[in-house]
Amino acid sequence: MKVLQALPGGSVLGTWRGGLAFLVLLVIALAAVFAPWIAPYPYDIQNLAATNKGPTLAHWLGTDEFGRDVLSRIIYGARTSLSVALAAIGVSLTAGMCLGAAAGYFGGAFDRAVTAVVDLTWSFPEVLIALIFIAILGPGLTSTIIAISIAYLAQFARLTRAQVMTIKSETYVEAATSLGAGHTHIMVSHLLPNTLTPVIVAGMLATGDAIILEATLGFFGLGVQPPSPSWGAMMSSGTAQIFIAPWTILGPGLAICIAVIAINLFGDSLIDAMDIRNRLRDY
Amino acid sequence: MAEAAAKSANLVEVRTLSKIFTTRASLFGRQRSMTAVGDVTLDIPRGRVTGVVGESGCGKSTLARLVLRLLEATRGQVLFDGVDLASLPGSALRQLRRRMQFVFQDPYSSIDPRYSVSRALLEPMLVQGKTLDAKKSVEHVHRLMAMVGLNPALARSYPHQLSGGQKQRVGIGRALALQPEFLVLDEPTASLDVSIQAQIVALLERLKQDLGLTYLFISHDLGLIRYFCDRIVVMYLGRVVEVLPTANAAPRHPYTRALMDSTFEPDPLRRRVINRLSGEIPDAFNLPSGCAYAPRCPNATERCRSERPAIAFDGGHALACHHPLQ
Amino acid sequence: MAFLSVREVSVQIGKMELIDRISLDIEKGQILGLVGESGSGKSLTAMAIMGLLPLIGGRISHGSVTLDGTNLMTLPEADFRALRGRRIALITQNPMTSLDPMLQVGAQIDQVARLHLGLGAEAAKTRSIDLLQQLRIPNAALVYLQYPHQMSGGMKQRIVIAMALAGDPDLIIADEPTTALDVTIQAQIIQILVDLVRERGLALLLITHDMGVVAQACDQVVVLYAGRVAESNAVNAIFAQSAHPYTRALIACITRAGQAAGSLTGISGLVPSAASYAAGCRFQPRCTLAQAICSDVAPALQSHGQGRVSCHFPQGAQHG
Repeated sequence: MKVLQALPGGSVLGTWRGGLAFLVLLVIALAAVFAPWIAPYPYDIQNLAATNKGPTLAHWLGTDEFGRDVLSRIIYGARTSLSVALAAIGVSLTAGMCLGAAAGYFGGAFDRAVTAVVDLTWSFPEVLIALIFIAILGPGLTSTIIAISIAYLAQFARLTRAQVMTIKSETYVEAATSLGAGHTHIMVSHLLPNTLTPVIVAGMLATGDAIILEATLGFFGLGVQPPSPSWGAMMSSGTAQIFIAPWTILGPGLAICIAVIAINLFGDSLIDAMDIRNRLRDY
Repeated sequence: MAEAAAKSANLVEVRTLSKIFTTRASLFGRQRSMTAVGDVTLDIPRGRVTGVVGESGCGKSTLARLVLRLLEATRGQVLFDGVDLASLPGSALRQLRRRMQFVFQDPYSSIDPRYSVSRALLEPMLVQGKTLDAKKSVEHVHRLMAMVGLNPALARSYPHQLSGGQKQRVGIGRALALQPEFLVLDEPTASLDVSIQAQIVALLERLKQDLGLTYLFISHDLGLIRYFCDRIVVMYLGRVVEVLPTANAAPRHPYTRALMDSTFEPDPLRRRVINRLSGEIPDAFNLPSGCAYAPRCPNATERCRSERPAIAFDGGHALACHHPLQ
Repeated sequence: MAFLSVREVSVQIGKMELIDRISLDIEKGQILGLVGESGSGKSLTAMAIMGLLPLIGGRISHGSVTLDGTNLMTLPEADFRALRGRRIALITQNPMTSLDPMLQVGAQIDQVARLHLGLGAEAAKTRSIDLLQQLRIPNAALVYLQYPHQMSGGMKQRIVIAMALAGDPDLIIADEPTTALDVTIQAQIIQILVDLVRERGLALLLITHDMGVVAQACDQVVVLYAGRVAESNAVNAIFAQSAHPYTRALIACITRAGQAAGSLTGISGLVPSAASYAAGCRFQPRCTLAQAICSDVAPALQSHGQGRVSCHFPQGAQHG
């Protein structure tokens, strides 16, 4: 442990919480990337002779109502969940940071306009916003990503704006102006790097939420469409046979649980690590 | 011709400069305004140290920022080498900043905590579009660090690893990176220990000699101002009340006199007799009419309370008082 | 024995020793200036005398503190609490943190009298207003009703002084009482403190970094450097015949009227950090007179003329 902690990033990976969580996430990520090689079966091969069979050596997590291998579908489902969550949060973070930074830095009417719009989305629950956009755009992978990124935009925009407004009045920003710096240099060299830390951590934690949101949409059949596997959609169709084949719900349900918990634990240990460094920095 | 020659004796000229802050009118209150700097007219001669002294609320820090246009003035002009700063568009102003720089009061917040010393000293070059290759960058950084008395081994240190005095040296080095002619120093030693203050002042003296700089030196410490400056501008509540042409000139404004009487000598045989002045510095939002110093002045008359004294020039000595001392 | 006697007191926080055997004596009617820069341990000394070290995880690891014959080190906390505010009062640097923003200032002064002198509400109020008038605060009855945010820094500090006086103390410890104030206000406050000592026969421990304040107000001076006493003496001797190189260098850091340009040099180097005190004299790295023995052997505090100095090569003063 001590050795691990001496490495860069060690204060996160060197803790039980951080290291374990990271390992789990690594496994999930690898599963998503190498799904075609890891999964025992393709996700859409139906075998109507062997529907709703329990776990056997051939099918470790059993089969669903179409005879498809549950384990394989969970592995391929990781692709959906992770790619949607990461893409959506990625877009949301970038757009949110840009909007928030601009609003916080320039202030005035622009700031008021952006804040008004952001606060509007902030007042709706994320599920509702996602539903509205799916309703407009129709269900599917792209719409899911768009909907989820808009749902989380407000959070990042507000956070960035608040940070930028604080840092804007720091003396070193005034010093940069006195050296002849223009707006771009100040935003890129001073404001954004000092805002990055809390926003990135928020982004991490939001990824966990985004996975759940994607699963929720999938549960209602509004996310990616069949036969593409989605953990949420799997749980949805699993409810019909919950008493005869509970593994069809348990499998994807556990997958969601583990993924989100791992993300949150990793995010937590990240916060702690940043905290210590900040404390040391001020010492 | 004679006028042009006289003009160039002053590097910076400030003409009736004012800065008024207004609070926003809210549902519950009227809009209130505060004159942080009122009608200041001032010359800053080339190659000399002009000191500005005053207590809290006198506007000296605001004036410092107005002179470099880090704040926009409400009225008035600042002429740098004959050029009106307010008339310059953004890019021209940024270019001109090469010649005029600022040293900030608080070393703890004037350097980005994520910047190493080296990066902080290179930022001016980057910002002004004068990028240096790796070898020249190192030379530049080492040259500046030597100039301000910093051990070059500290080049990769971060601000939190440096002492207050070392941080302030970085601030001064950064201000000198572009080889300016004019330096505005806003209480550069106020947050430092006494022994370090003296170090920094000695450094500033040496730099002025070696580089032929012009300084505008802001401080609340009259003793330091009298030691360091060639001319002294005394401010009270946003206005200039007196300009002393030499550091040892006898004060003629009662406030300057009060400041001198309050500045203790490090000599127990020369203790001051403190007159128990009544009154406090008034609220800047609610300035009394007439002379702002009247409520505290032992010589105040009715005229003082109703009519604000205009500033009058007598040789190099400027004074705004109805009943000057002596 | 002096009214307040601090003998060979050492202070530790955790494993670090931050103050190494300092001694000072104050008589009633006397002002002692405790001078030092950051890291000298002057504020810690105040906390040690007041018995407040446990609040920051510290303790007195050596020595004794005696007030009017009472050993403060063996005093149970309950008795010490009765002492604080009543016989010893503390005035700190920042009046904003000494005053409760939610209470009228008059009530805050009353609290002290009611707690320590057992006065009733009316009696306390009369006394408080009287105190404000003695401190030459105009419209005392109106000021009594004000809240801290309605006042200037100088006025707040006067309220804090009134609170300090309300318990009728014998000893006041003022820790940088004017550092945060404007120069003209500072002069007023220092004069108030000096007058109080002369009029009431109080003892005043004035902690400051400003040699100008020391010269103006103090009778006796103790100069601290990096947790040790560098020199102690009467104020005239400290300035006219400073024995310790640090004292002389510190005085030379303050500008005097008419001082020649270029003559201000400061003291090169930095104050050492408590985590890395070297053996020998702690001032040695910055001392222009240092010799080999200075880095090896820590100089003991010894009599020198009328005062005491801890230096292997003290200047001035006849021997004996």
